[in-house]
Amino acid sequence: MQFVWFWTFWHWSTESFRSGAVLRSPLQGVAGHWDEWYQHEASESDRRAIAAVARGGFEQRRFVCWLARRWAREARWRNEMLPARFVLAQLSRVAPFDNWTAFEKYRSAYTAPGISAIVLDQESAGEAADVRRVEAIPLPLDEDAAAGNVACDGFHADIGELNTARRAAISLLNGKGLIVFLGLWLVAGIRPYPRVLRVLLTAGWLAVVGLIARLLLGSDPGAQLATFEAILLGLWASLVVTAVAVAAALGVDAWRTGGELKKKLEESQLHLRMSGGLSVQGGSAGLAFCLNGLFAAYRSRPRVASRSWLWERFFRRLRTASQNWAATGIVDADGSVDHVVLEPKIRACLRNPNVTDVLTPWQAEGKNSAIARVAATTRSTGHMAQHARMVPGFASAQRTLRSHRCRHIAQSVMAVGEFASKWQLATNMLALAVTAVMALALNDIRNVLQPPAAPRVVLPGSPSPYYLWVSLDTKRPEAFRAQLESGFWSNRRADVVAYGGADASVRAEIRLTRHGRQSTIDEENGTVWIERRQTFLTREFRAGERIASYPLAHLTNLHHD
Amino acid sequence: MKRAMDIETLLQWRRERAEAEAPQAPSGVRLLKLLSPWWEVSPDRFAASVRRLASIQLSFGYAMSHVPQGHRGHPVAALISEGDEERESPARVLYLSVRDGRLRLRFQLAPIPRTDRLFEVTFVSEQPALRPILAAYAALSGDGEYRVDVELPRELAAAWESLKVTDPMPFRFILRPAPSNM
Repeated sequence: MQFVWFWTFWHWSTESFRSGAVLRSPLQGVAGHWDEWYQHEASESDRRAIAAVARGGFEQRRFVCWLARRWAREARWRNEMLPARFVLAQLSRVAPFDNWTAFEKYRSAYTAPGISAIVLDQESAGEAADVRRVEAIPLPLDEDAAAGNVACDGFHADIGELNTARRAAISLLNGKGLIVFLGLWLVAGIRPYPRVLRVLLTAGWLAVVGLIARLLLGSDPGAQLATFEAILLGLWASLVVTAVAVAAALGVDAWRTGGELKKKLEESQLHLRMSGGLSVQGGSAGLAFCLNGLFAAYRSRPRVASRSWLWERFFRRLRTASQNWAATGIVDADGSVDHVVLEPKIRACLRNPNVTDVLTPWQAEGKNSAIARVAATTRSTGHMAQHARMVPGFASAQRTLRSHRCRHIAQSVMAVGEFASKWQLATNMLALAVTAVMALALNDIRNVLQPPAAPRVVLPGSPSPYYLWVSLDTKRPEAFRAQLESGFWSNRRADVVAYGGADASVRAEIRLTRHGRQSTIDEENGTVWIERRQTFLTREFRAGERIASYPLAHLTNLHHD
Repeated sequence: MKRAMDIETLLQWRRERAEAEAPQAPSGVRLLKLLSPWWEVSPDRFAASVRRLASIQLSFGYAMSHVPQGHRGHPVAALISEGDEERESPARVLYLSVRDGRLRLRFQLAPIPRTDRLFEVTFVSEQPALRPILAAYAALSGDGEYRVDVELPRELAAAWESLKVTDPMPFRFILRPAPSNM
């Protein structure tokens, strides 16, 4: 067994905690517990073994690897794998590790970089060093009940403000924030379609537009109307079902996955680290803290996030963005991003050559044009990493910095995850317009594809001798029309309409006027035909099938009967 | 002084000169005073500190949204006495072990972490009256905690042996920064 002395320490630490000798859990209090054990409890053989490891850099590195890969997995605390980065960072401050070279990089960082915060030094007008690396690690909640949900390491800040950023992150994982994000993504967010499918779907929507235009403006399709409308309905329905199913599936996945990550974050104590020993005044680092809180939740549960395409994409991009993105903005618990003093922060980003993108609140100074103006008057003071044989060529005098303005943290998720897609936005607008038209035309299509049964003529008849009422027992009056053919009366056609009032009925009202050239003197001569109507929005097609006929005499006597 | 001189004469001359320049040896009273704890040397100062310490009423108030679980601990009233200035700074006892007549204790000062490397800690009993019971040095460890390792009087060792870190502590602290070369 390797490094038995560390197991001995861990056992002492856990037992001391169980017996009530130490207040903080073995994980949160690892540095203090180690110091105590090393100073007073370690045996001579333990000390000799530790000294043997300390002698060589290789052995030290071997211990660090063992601790991160082996011990952190095996020595679980509260059924959770131990965060090796945190343990290494804590141990790096106490003897003898504070002199070990292998612990060097853990003394100032967790080595879990996230989005940088822009925190101005006192009286700084915006320097490269004001862009500060922020790291976040979630630990199982401290057994010490007086411990807060957020702890800061390497800086001091109002815990209330840090907790607000944490709550905003929780809201974004599974709350109002996520609803806002899903709304934004639905409107203009990229979908996980392969390029070919995306083109096909857009072509499908364009085909629907073409069919609608054909039906509205083209020649009367006659007998082919039903075929046209069937194709139109089928195509539109399949596109809608595809879009809704994909969006719903991804949305539900994101909600469920976010729920699990939220639970993890709620049950954790979020440790935020920012070097420099600053006492942070104000809440403008809230946006960066919030995004890093999300990242911390992902780092603790990377497999959970992979179940959701939306979260997986966001966190993958966030990992890349952590190298060269910075953020500033005050967030509230619901995720709204509030204004900050921006110009010096923009200048700090411009002076820091590592920063390519900055997330800002929605304010005028955050516009790319405003940044270009600041860039024109700002000299870069940072140091670019150079290859040994490279000679710098000064072809570009001005730094470019892309800004992403946000009113809500959901917009910063859209920006970091590169979800915004103009193609998708255009397709969605088209789909929305087409769907609105189709919703209006659905009844017309239904009357063609699924015509109602032929209605019977019923009461009431017309109380006036100058009108003929053809009342029908149907619930779909728009599907029918009545036509009078008579040698005595002028031939007329009337739509069937639902009338209210005392004589409420579904009927066609035909005004009776004498024919100019009567072929008979029998005023009861004539036939009333019931026809099917064929329409598409404002377009009236040629009359459809005649489904019933009634002698005029029968209809005029109906009232009296 | 003669140029030619043997080594014994030279040593004799040097000793005589050193004796002539040396300060006077402290009197027995002075030595006893130096050995006395500070509260006996400056009883008025101690009385003032104790009055201030007695006025500190301290306990955690839980106004959290969830029911706190696990260890809670109890804050220990502490008074940092620097020259004429006195400041209250509650201490949290993080580790407590009484074994083989020795007290090993670690505590943290809140809310602002201190950077003093060494404190002289006076343990002042809670009951029956505030009186000094122990003095020890607390050294700052690498992670912002202060460490005390001191031999206890037999009666204190017996009384504190069963004490847990989560129990209310039977003492308060008066902390006086000490030179770090001690």
